[in-house]
Amino acid sequence: MEKRESLWDRCLKQGISRRNFIKSCVTLTSLMGLSTECLTKVVEAAEAKPLPVVIWIHGHECTGCDESFIRSASPLAGDLVLSQIDLEYDHLLSAACGEPFERHLDETIQKYKGQYILAVEGAVSTKDNGIFCMSGGHTFTHLLQKAAKDAAAIIAYGTCAVAGGIQAASPNPTGSSGISMFTGGAPVINVPGCPPIPEVMTGVVMHVALFGTPPPLDGNGRPKQFYGNRIHDTCYRRPFFDAGLFAENYDDAGAKAGWCLYKLGCRGPETYNSCGNLRWYQGMSYPIQSGAACIGCSNPHFWDEGSFSDRLPKYDKIGDADKIGIGLGVLTTAGVAAHAVASVVQKSKRDIEEVENGGAGE
Amino acid sequence: MKEVKRKEYYLFSPFLRIFHWIMVAMIVILFVTGLLIAKPVQVMTPEPTYTLTSMDLVRDIHFVAAFIFCASFILRIYGFIINKGDRLFPRVWEGHFYEETVDVALHYMLIKPHHASFLRNPLARCSYAALYALVLVEVLTGFAMYYMNDPNSTGAFLFGWVNTVLGGEMMTHLIHHYVAWGIILFAIGHVYMVIRAEFMEGESEVSSMFAGSKILAHTPKDANELE
Amino acid sequence: MAHVTVDPVTRIEGHLRVEVQVDEGSGTVTDALSSGTAWRGLELVMKDRDPRDAWAYIQRICGVCTTAHALCSVRAVEDALGITIPKNANYIRNIMAATLTVQDHIVHFYHLHALDWVSPVEALNADPVATANLQNTILATYKLPLTGPTATNTEAYPHDFPAATPQYFDGIKAKVKAIVDSGQLGIFSAQWWDHPDYKILPPEVHLLAVAHYLEMLDKQRELVTPHVIFGGKNPHPHYVVGGMPCSISLTDGNAPVNTARLAIVDRAVNMGRTLVNNYYLPDLLAIGNIYVKAGKTDGGGLAKTRVLAFGAYPMDTYTRTSDGGFFKDLLIRCNGVVENFGAGAWNAEYSELKAEDLTSPDGFTEGVQHAWYEYPADKDLHPWEGVTEPKFTGPKEGTPTEWKTLNEQGKYSWLKTPKWKGKVCEVGPLARYIIIYTKYVKGLLGDLTWAEKMMIDQIQAVSNVLGLAPEVWLPTMVGRTAARGLDCQLNAEINKFYFDKLIANIKSGDLSVMNSEKWYPETWPKECKGVGLYEAPRGALSHWVHIKDGKTHNYQCIVPTTWNSCPRDDKAGQGAYELAMMDTHVAVPDKPLEIVKVIRSFDPCMACATH
Ligand code: HEM
Ligand code: HEM
Ligand code: NFV
Ligand code: SF4
Ligand code: SF4
Ligand code: F3S
Ligand SMILES: [Mg+2]
Repeated sequence: MEKRESLWDRCLKQGISRRNFIKSCVTLTSLMGLSTECLTKVVEAAEAKPLPVVIWIHGHECTGCDESFIRSASPLAGDLVLSQIDLEYDHLLSAACGEPFERHLDETIQKYKGQYILAVEGAVSTKDNGIFCMSGGHTFTHLLQKAAKDAAAIIAYGTCAVAGGIQAASPNPTGSSGISMFTGGAPVINVPGCPPIPEVMTGVVMHVALFGTPPPLDGNGRPKQFYGNRIHDTCYRRPFFDAGLFAENYDDAGAKAGWCLYKLGCRGPETYNSCGNLRWYQGMSYPIQSGAACIGCSNPHFWDEGSFSDRLPKYDKIGDADKIGIGLGVLTTAGVAAHAVASVVQKSKRDIEEVENGGAGE
Repeated sequence: MKEVKRKEYYLFSPFLRIFHWIMVAMIVILFVTGLLIAKPVQVMTPEPTYTLTSMDLVRDIHFVAAFIFCASFILRIYGFIINKGDRLFPRVWEGHFYEETVDVALHYMLIKPHHASFLRNPLARCSYAALYALVLVEVLTGFAMYYMNDPNSTGAFLFGWVNTVLGGEMMTHLIHHYVAWGIILFAIGHVYMVIRAEFMEGESEVSSMFAGSKILAHTPKDANELE
Repeated sequence: MAHVTVDPVTRIEGHLRVEVQVDEGSGTVTDALSSGTAWRGLELVMKDRDPRDAWAYIQRICGVCTTAHALCSVRAVEDALGITIPKNANYIRNIMAATLTVQDHIVHFYHLHALDWVSPVEALNADPVATANLQNTILATYKLPLTGPTATNTEAYPHDFPAATPQYFDGIKAKVKAIVDSGQLGIFSAQWWDHPDYKILPPEVHLLAVAHYLEMLDKQRELVTPHVIFGGKNPHPHYVVGGMPCSISLTDGNAPVNTARLAIVDRAVNMGRTLVNNYYLPDLLAIGNIYVKAGKTDGGGLAKTRVLAFGAYPMDTYTRTSDGGFFKDLLIRCNGVVENFGAGAWNAEYSELKAEDLTSPDGFTEGVQHAWYEYPADKDLHPWEGVTEPKFTGPKEGTPTEWKTLNEQGKYSWLKTPKWKGKVCEVGPLARYIIIYTKYVKGLLGDLTWAEKMMIDQIQAVSNVLGLAPEVWLPTMVGRTAARGLDCQLNAEINKFYFDKLIANIKSGDLSVMNSEKWYPETWPKECKGVGLYEAPRGALSHWVHIKDGKTHNYQCIVPTTWNSCPRDDKAGQGAYELAMMDTHVAVPDKPLEIVKVIRSFDPCMACATH
């Protein structure tokens, strides 16, 4: 196989100075939450490793994940795609289409067997043999299995790829699910979010590209550096939560004062994402900072966990769990009271009988 | 009324009794603070100062109560080891258990005037087992939520899997919340049944959880369990 | 006769397959078929959801025109419940919509469409000095100096100018050369770079366009910061039924919106205006002019026969779309249908869209004759009564999971066929421009709003550049792409317009962004229906909701790309994609670049179309 270029080779060719190169490594290092001691490691990695080939495939999705990817600021998506990785197949950006494009995919898989990174966006449709998601005349399942077989690493981008996403929401008309059942042996890096934060998406690719290994993952296969905290535990409104200061309605005095959105249904307390620390657009905002309760978009089944406006699900006119609880409590108490009355009657009857019989019953 | 000859049976070790009353207190505290966590009462102070209803405080009380509750369970375990009366489980592996259950149930349904005498009747045994199961769920789900503020901690290692098994932490919250109500429903029924037993049979049911003994008029069918 | 299939069509959103019959001798396309090959069933997912959450679910139809479906959804639910949103909320939503349009069009032109016109291979032949000169010539020749009313002037001078030095283009050329030399062509792999169409433009235009491709890839992200400020993220910013979640406070630094945050919005708004004026429109007109001069005026198709739009940008606020509230005070009154524009604006027929058209059972309908769905009876359905019941029938040749050719006589697509009064229509920026222009020529507009006036000025300016009458250049492939560029410039100004209105309203003391009166389901009628309308980047979007007992009973979407890419109807004929392909000349049948180019001139979004 021909020699593949490293990031540093590519920089040399493009006349990027070593100073600039190191500068971009510094950005990367801090982006990936690594200490500067790691910088030498990053530089070494970038100089030695050839440019990683990336194949990006689309199942049942909305392309919001690609769109998020190209919003990345550090690294800039353009730099990443044109200089730091070799994006050989992507429905959104690739020039080619149709038969030549599909042939190119097969050739790329052959040429870089066991070396390419497979990025998957979107869910797998399983119902009726997968005919709800066709591309190139084949099912997406076919494409996924083909591309996953020889991948060095697989990145599941977005909640769709990780857990099925919106199309898997009840009643899941197309039998959609996350990709993990269809990828065989290669390690899957789960990058959930609907979509994930841009710099999280590019950061994960960069980690694999630079270090040649998946980033450290948690028990759910998510990179710890980006999914290691609940939003609630990093949220800038947390002091208001702790103090018991809540917005009761959208746009009330509390909302204007930036108070906690818990009572508006905020899912921050159970959502693992970088929204609280990294935030969107390099610290510019995240839904909560813009006054909207988090809907938990990086959680596996967030679409089917009750109305987003309530912390507890409501059951029609019966109300939420507490109303049901109070109702059952009252019923139980009433039942108990009735039983008590009946027991008193029973006992007095029994006592009379006992006196008449002159002996203990039984 | 005829004289009844009663016999005293020593059942509950002091450890079980202390545990029982700590549990009663903690469940009440946990339930009240838990509901406040789910639906905080608003304190419209213009500045974020710490007031009595601050979430921080309410949550801390909930967590302290949870730890006390769990710690006190050690007493229960000790009692279980040293004292046979602390081991009155539902003996579902014994055939007569089911007949006796039916018998007791018929009495509770007010169809039969009496049920046979027991140290602890089979239905009560079942209800306590059920309660412990509910408490176990609360403890597992509770710590699963609690320790995940640091997913790398030992606590998260021990309990974090619960969130995965339940399909996400939102489910953990919901189940924790529903089961809390389950426990309260048990408590209502339980307190009633204890008092009712006292009233119906006059066999010092209530005081047994203070003094440790029941004073029964008939030889209980499960008396052998104390030998 | 050659049967040519392109699957997947790339540089679009979603999964699209086209098949054409080409006469090899003449290059004429005798039949064409367009098929959306994936369906997710999101309308069915909406059943029994809380209508206040509907926006979040249905927004996931598409992350490219992100916000479009969220906006249309809150409008539909607000129509059903009879909610009037505060002025600020309307301004903010309009800013979000205009922001989307500007960014979406720029990304389409440079990153999804450009590689149909320009090639990095050709760019290697360019002379950097000549390219620098060309850049200046283009700026001097093709800028369209049109603006809207600007109340606040927050920019000292125009920023974001294209670089026009030989060194700059030399650098770009070196970058392209390095990529080509490395053998790892990345996204440039496997394209028909030897197609004759790539010889139409001189090498310098190729190099310039490649440079701007890269510039815009960096810059597009900065255009959507208004979504991040007002909705917390992009893609998929957050909304709320009754207004917007982003409270405004001029006293609290924790508030979602305050002066500092508005400054970020202001910067993005200004940037959109500079980018479209300094890059997009000049590039577009330069390229378009060469194409038109080379005789490329095909690809019009249905645009010549029938176009439809709903009207855009409610001025201040409005109540009840289904009572006509939406149409009452629009900035762009393109709410109507124009038929036979190909015969000239004066001869074309115009039908105004009114409330009755929305509510009457056969005003708007969808059919499934050639779509993989099943209806309870053999009759098209109004979306309030709409049914989404999949029924896959397989291809003509091949197996259900290995297709060879699709069956144009039977069912062949996951798109329904939307109809206005039983007829198919083309929608999109081109439709909006054709409608406004026709209404103007026929004297139906009365006093023009500033935006309508700007549209007329744009059309006339482009007609001057091309030396052709609007009815000649508008309904063509180039015209469709050009109209999108004009729409981008217009929306950049609209963005500024509503930003100024927002500032003025806040200044007057109105800080409200939310009407909570009907937030709780207890305040809702037992049963109600609503429709939401929005002129999305790709055209007329409508959401139809039926709410019953506080829950979403039925939810149907008729989406711009559904209109354009729909399968044929036995009575109404073929849809816009199919007719546009049949109106296109193909030079090399096994390299049908013209086909994918005309398809991309619609900016296809298949996730939108099938949902
Ligand atoms: C014994 C161990 C327990 C632990 C470690 C525990 C821990 C927790 C935690 C971490 C929360 C979530 C707090 C938050 O969202 O900030 C919580 C909530 C709650 N707890 Fe417990 N808890 C325990 C037992 C109980 C018991 C026994 C009850 C009731 C009888 C109870 C009732 C509740 C309720 C009602 C909530 C609110 C749930 C929600 O809607 O989020 N907890 N508990
Ligand atoms: C004033 C209230 C209460 C009184 C007077 C009381 C009394 C008693 C008595 C007498 C027993 C022994 C019953 C027997 O073996 O026949 C008992 C057992 C038990 N009670 Fe209570 N109880 C009270 C409240 C509660 C509450 C609130 C809970 C928990 C929610 C609870 C949980 C239990 C459990 C689990 C046992 C079984 C103990 C064991 O064998 O491990 N009790 N209680
Ligand atoms: N068609 C379409 Fe959209 C747009 N513009 C939707 O309304 O792209 Ni995804
Ligand atoms: S995860 Fe969300 S943003 Fe990404 S493709 Fe799925 S629906 Fe779209
Ligand atoms: S806004 Fe949400 S995440 Fe932030 S502190 Fe409140 S509940 Fe937690
Ligand atoms: S909705 Fe999603 S983007 Fe972040 S704040 Fe919540 S996880
Ligand atoms: Mg539809």
